[in-house]
Amino acid sequence: MYLAFASSALQTQLAYRGQVWASLFGKLIQVFAWIAIWMSVYGDAGSVAGATLPEMVTYALIGGTLTTAWDWRRLLNAVGASVCTGDVAVYLLKPMRYPLYLFATECGNLGYKLGAIALPVGVVVALTYGVLPPASLFHGVMFLLFWALSFVIIFLLAVLCGLLAFWLLTAFSLEWLLQGILSLLSGTAIPLWLFPDQVAAAVKLLPFAWISYHPIAVYLGKTSLAETWTYLGLGLVWAALLTLAVAVLWHRAALRITVQGG
Amino acid sequence: MTAIIEARAVSKRFRQHRRFPGLLGALKTLFTSEYTEVTAVADVSFAISEGEAVGYLGPNGAGKSTMIKMLTGILVPSSGAVSVLGRTPHRQRMTNAREIGVVFGQRSQLWWDLPVRDSFELHRRIYDIAAARFAENLGSLSELLELGPFLDRAVRQLSLGQRMRAEIVMALLHDPKILFLDEPTIGLDVVAKDAVRRFLTQVNSERGTTIVLTTHDLQDIEQICPRLIMVDQSRLIFDGELRNLRATLGSRRRLTLEFGVDPGVLALTSARLVADEGPLKHYLLEREDISLLDVLTEIGADRDLKDVKLKEPNIEEVIRTFYQGRNAAGAAG
Amino acid sequence: MGSALRVLPFLVRLYVKSRLEYRGAFLLAISAQFFSYACGYAAIWILLQKFETLGGWDWPELALLFSFQLLAYSMGAALSFVQFRDLEEQVRLGTFDTLLVKPFSPWAYLAFSGLNIGYAGHIILAAGLMAWSLTQVGMDWTPGSALYLFAALVSAALVNAALITMIGACAFIFVQSSHLYTIFFGFWELSRYPLTIFPAGLQWLLLTFVPLGLASFVPVAFLLGKDIPILGEWGGLAAPLAGPLLVLIAMAHWKYAISRYQGGGG
Repeated sequence: MYLAFASSALQTQLAYRGQVWASLFGKLIQVFAWIAIWMSVYGDAGSVAGATLPEMVTYALIGGTLTTAWDWRRLLNAVGASVCTGDVAVYLLKPMRYPLYLFATECGNLGYKLGAIALPVGVVVALTYGVLPPASLFHGVMFLLFWALSFVIIFLLAVLCGLLAFWLLTAFSLEWLLQGILSLLSGTAIPLWLFPDQVAAAVKLLPFAWISYHPIAVYLGKTSLAETWTYLGLGLVWAALLTLAVAVLWHRAALRITVQGG
Repeated sequence: MTAIIEARAVSKRFRQHRRFPGLLGALKTLFTSEYTEVTAVADVSFAISEGEAVGYLGPNGAGKSTMIKMLTGILVPSSGAVSVLGRTPHRQRMTNAREIGVVFGQRSQLWWDLPVRDSFELHRRIYDIAAARFAENLGSLSELLELGPFLDRAVRQLSLGQRMRAEIVMALLHDPKILFLDEPTIGLDVVAKDAVRRFLTQVNSERGTTIVLTTHDLQDIEQICPRLIMVDQSRLIFDGELRNLRATLGSRRRLTLEFGVDPGVLALTSARLVADEGPLKHYLLEREDISLLDVLTEIGADRDLKDVKLKEPNIEEVIRTFYQGRNAAGAAG
Repeated sequence: MGSALRVLPFLVRLYVKSRLEYRGAFLLAISAQFFSYACGYAAIWILLQKFETLGGWDWPELALLFSFQLLAYSMGAALSFVQFRDLEEQVRLGTFDTLLVKPFSPWAYLAFSGLNIGYAGHIILAAGLMAWSLTQVGMDWTPGSALYLFAALVSAALVNAALITMIGACAFIFVQSSHLYTIFFGFWELSRYPLTIFPAGLQWLLLTFVPLGLASFVPVAFLLGKDIPILGEWGGLAAPLAGPLLVLIAMAHWKYAISRYQGGGG
């Protein structure tokens, strides 16, 4: 059943072919823009803050395509809309759990975004600028784990913010809020090692850092064996905490909806 | 009488982008582009005179809304000519817009979050209505449709019936010569429908406003429009007086005779026996020219007749019969 | 025409009134947007702490560029973005028809009935950042340069409004226009940065096909005396002229697009 949802999501996306080409183009531009920025600031410098230009190119590529493949805004707004209107009550009646349904659907969306957009963009950028392989087999495998964790965390954050819309009566502001936080703290554009040392130490511990920074840092081999496992563990803790938060909010929202009717 | 609305051999065709079903089909739409052509209106002609109230009737997809859009200047005919108040609507859109009022049943022109009065005030400015005339119209029209209690309430707080009444009043504030209504009674409850119908009839007779009304609801037409234009599958199939529809499409009045005592089999030449329940007999009068008196005369005076019921088929039955006949004729080839 | 002037302010008043019905959400929205852009700029600021310049521009100069781009965009988009992005849905639902039966310009009605005060957050941030950066940037200010800044800003706002309108009007032709906005915003993000860091191909696109480069980099570079790729000396003149020119193009495009809507798009 959940597989059917994933497939259906994929189909819906492909139906809007204009949007597919446009998203592809948009993503490509974004990645090229950041590579241009890195190339410009690095100039002839070899290594800055422990990273070389080729590493930053790879950083921008992975950050632009893999860790940000999935569109969290759609989910945030969808959840926000369904709790605000009370439509979600429909799901309370069905023989399945709403969050699982969401996860299955979003996996389908992720699949589409990866195949239709991330992959082509990645290939084009890799051919144009060259991409570095993972620092080692260990780091490569760990990267895959971190990447899966990254998707889970951003998924949970999106659902969390969508649910918060129930009390704030608007998803719009939450979307912008999350976007601001991610632009600064997720490490998607700016690697956290460029932050002043003490700030960096703190930011690296926030859940947002697991969305782009930690996966890419692992891929590039910036973390030792011990550090990698530690961060994986911490990431899982965050995932658990966020799941708990989502469960609590979901329960309270569902309660109020069934009592008041949205 | 000269026509103020004229359609001459008007046709309208649309192009639609094809969608393919399924996952493979979804991939296909990524790379191909195909169109199908749809004819919404085919070779329709009619002329409406000033002061008439005309109903435009037809099933979904018959081309009613498309026709109204061409008459109001929203769409340009693919072929043929449309003339309203002596102008081509789409060519002189703004001048035409000043003299017509349009009410869309399913598309509101009122501002959702603001009081009704604010939308009216905006209307006054857009149509450049003189202050005195505006006050007069607002007063008399809102009194007729009883808008008083909710003129200052936000549109989102109104019921559908109240909103519809406000929309109709707004469309008349600038004294238009023609009022177009696209399915105005859709979704309204019985009381609201009745209010709207009485109001429109009054507007037509007292102000001389020409009314063109599209609808599914035959009672709209029965109450408001003496004349009916019927379309089906993009073609015009009837244009004339409502009472002629029965004659043209055939009518079958039901006659029920109740006797004190079962008179036995009672076959008549003026009416056809369709059901015999002993003292209660049902007949169909299939000819327009035969009246109830003819039937009673044929029955005779000393039959112990207790009660007589004559039922006119309503328009719905008439039209349904027509379609059934058309489909049967089509099937027969 | 005179009646139009009576209608437009009233339209704006009505929209502001309806928007302020939801005061809490409105204030939250502009705060959230202020925050989001501030975060984005903060990220670049952090970058520049380590690298000092980007494409030869230091932080105050970049701040001027960012704020100019955002201010021009906000002013232009207030008159166009949400209104013409939602045109797609209006066409789909048929509610646009209600605008065609009024004796009023559909474009003006759309633009002004939704004059988006929601950009207040953007404008406050941009104006503030611009005010700060103007004092920090090493430049001699004359009445001439102040006038140029103003003219370039207005022109840049017009460029944004014209491009956004043209994209929205495509809804009349293609029914869907949202994917074109995706492309627009892709370029829009690029136009935030000094054009010089991009390959020639992108520079060309940002000066011709999607001339957002003329709405940010070119006028600011001219003011700061920086080199302008491709246009060189002509850049200074091109920026203030781009706005009015694009408006004319947009008007012609709008007329054409509406004629397609009425002709038989669907």
